[in-house]
Amino acid sequence: MTRVRVTAPRTAARPAKETREAAQDSEVGQVFVRSLIRSQLRLALVVAAGFLLILCAFPLLLAAVPGLAETRVAGIPFAWLLLGAGIYPVIGLSAWLYIRTAARNEARYRDLAEDQ
Amino acid sequence: MNPGVAIAALVGVSVATAVIGFYGLRISRTTGDFYVASRTVRPWWNASAIGGEYLSAASFLGVAGLILLSGTDALWFPVGYTAGYLMLLLFVAAPLRRSGAYTIPDFTEARLDSLPVRKVTSLVVVLVGWLYIVPQLHGAALTIRITTGLPSWVGSVAVVIVVCLTVVAGGMRSITFVQAFQYWLKLTALAVPILFIIFVLAGSGTAPLAQPSVNPTGAPPAGLYQNVSLLVALLFGTLGLPHVLVRFYTNPDGQSARRTTLIVLGLLSVFYLFPTAYGLVGRMFAPGLATAGQADAMVLLLPGELVGGTAGDLLSALVVAGAFAAFLSTTSGLVVSLAGVISQDVLGAGVGSFRLAAVISAVVPLGFAFMTDSFALAGSVGLVFAFTASTVCPVLLLGIWWRGLTDAGAIAGMLTGGVLCGGAMIAGALAGAASTPGWLAQPAAWTVPAAFAVMVIVSRATSQRIPKTMSKVMTRLHTPERPLATER
Repeated sequence: MTRVRVTAPRTAARPAKETREAAQDSEVGQVFVRSLIRSQLRLALVVAAGFLLILCAFPLLLAAVPGLAETRVAGIPFAWLLLGAGIYPVIGLSAWLYIRTAARNEARYRDLAEDQ
Repeated sequence: MNPGVAIAALVGVSVATAVIGFYGLRISRTTGDFYVASRTVRPWWNASAIGGEYLSAASFLGVAGLILLSGTDALWFPVGYTAGYLMLLLFVAAPLRRSGAYTIPDFTEARLDSLPVRKVTSLVVVLVGWLYIVPQLHGAALTIRITTGLPSWVGSVAVVIVVCLTVVAGGMRSITFVQAFQYWLKLTALAVPILFIIFVLAGSGTAPLAQPSVNPTGAPPAGLYQNVSLLVALLFGTLGLPHVLVRFYTNPDGQSARRTTLIVLGLLSVFYLFPTAYGLVGRMFAPGLATAGQADAMVLLLPGELVGGTAGDLLSALVVAGAFAAFLSTTSGLVVSLAGVISQDVLGAGVGSFRLAAVISAVVPLGFAFMTDSFALAGSVGLVFAFTASTVCPVLLLGIWWRGLTDAGAIAGMLTGGVLCGGAMIAGALAGAASTPGWLAQPAAWTVPAAFAVMVIVSRATSQRIPKTMSKVMTRLHTPERPLATER
């Protein structure tokens, strides 16, 4: 079940953009903005670090397990499959996770800013 | 290869590009249209266009050639080219779009409230663009020489002429359509021939001539430092490329900028499977192409080598068309973004000065291309990424995420990175590829941290220069737009 906010449109009282800027200029507004920036930066760093760890793990795995690099899967050496095709799904998954969480951070910020 | 078929393919691509360009002319009339297509391009179109623009001579020819030469070491190139977009998504895409600026110099000026920063950024952006166009023209020269037997300069000059015509005629709106078309053309032109080749090889049961793990030239594999430094350059270089960044302004808001990037990641992932397949098939079935000293032409020669006959000719024509699409799309994307910078900063705004600037941006690198010789395409583009990562990348990342950045810090950092990385590139070029030590051949691992360090230290020392508008700009960069976009 989704919650729906039921309010009258604010545009009648003052232009939306003006309200938004006034809210952001206030001290409380700036606290919200800072916390949004911090959470977005933290999210970006976590996703980047996670991706880089997996990226480093791939060649380490090939080096650690003798013979794995040369093992054939459907006639193609495993090292080629892993580095030539296996990394792309990891990139796509990281991107998808990031976008979902970043949008959620922004939705939370919007709720806070409008509740003011 | 039959030169007539190759020439027909070239003419076909050029005419298609020009026709789509002129069709776009009818809907671009204002200055805003010329720069960024009035921000009304849909994510799928925009993503295809970004893919079309980004997949340059290095991706189309160079990656496969390098894989043929150095095997799994070279697989880091396509991985890095793609993962660079992940970094772009994480750190730059949405805030850059929300900044509302047209070009990178617009962004740095708005963020740091300083005209000198704008000038230095413009200088760096123009340098990056020119450095990046040169390998495209080298690729065109190589393709013409190999496939038609005409003199090399014909290829470079043809690319410059077609690009000037399309950009001058239509600006970014028509460029968007042209680029999107060229992504799908490039994908088809790589995928169909290699799938056909694999089908033929599997059907005839041809035994491989060599193992994929054996380097056909007998060259030693690259060291750990080289691979790490290359990855640093590619991961951080992508998020500073002017022709890629200018595309983000054509999204209606920050959310759609992110969605566009996600689609781009998918398009690139699919595309890079094919150069990898070319490299692998080349290693196993045509290792002779590596020893001829023209590994970059491997993609062009493989269909003729392994299929032959009329089918081989037709497949070759398709590959040549795709290669020219790559040179044309990357060059025109760069020319548009450079022309935006040059016309705003040097010539004054307006459609007329944009057109003049476009011609200047295309003709200058033609001179560079005549004066220099082509070496490995993927390698020379990798160096441009190192230069971008050492200059534009730090100012963007710190500008978006760090409140303490000052104009003095930004200028000092960009100059440090530019001088160090540019110096390494010149020293490497003078010494020749064979006698360049690894740390000079792949400078990113030390020039990028140096640029970041100088930028942070100088900013700290000049913290009284933090602009008064900083809070306001940071708020605009990071807060979501209204659900109904009120700012257009």
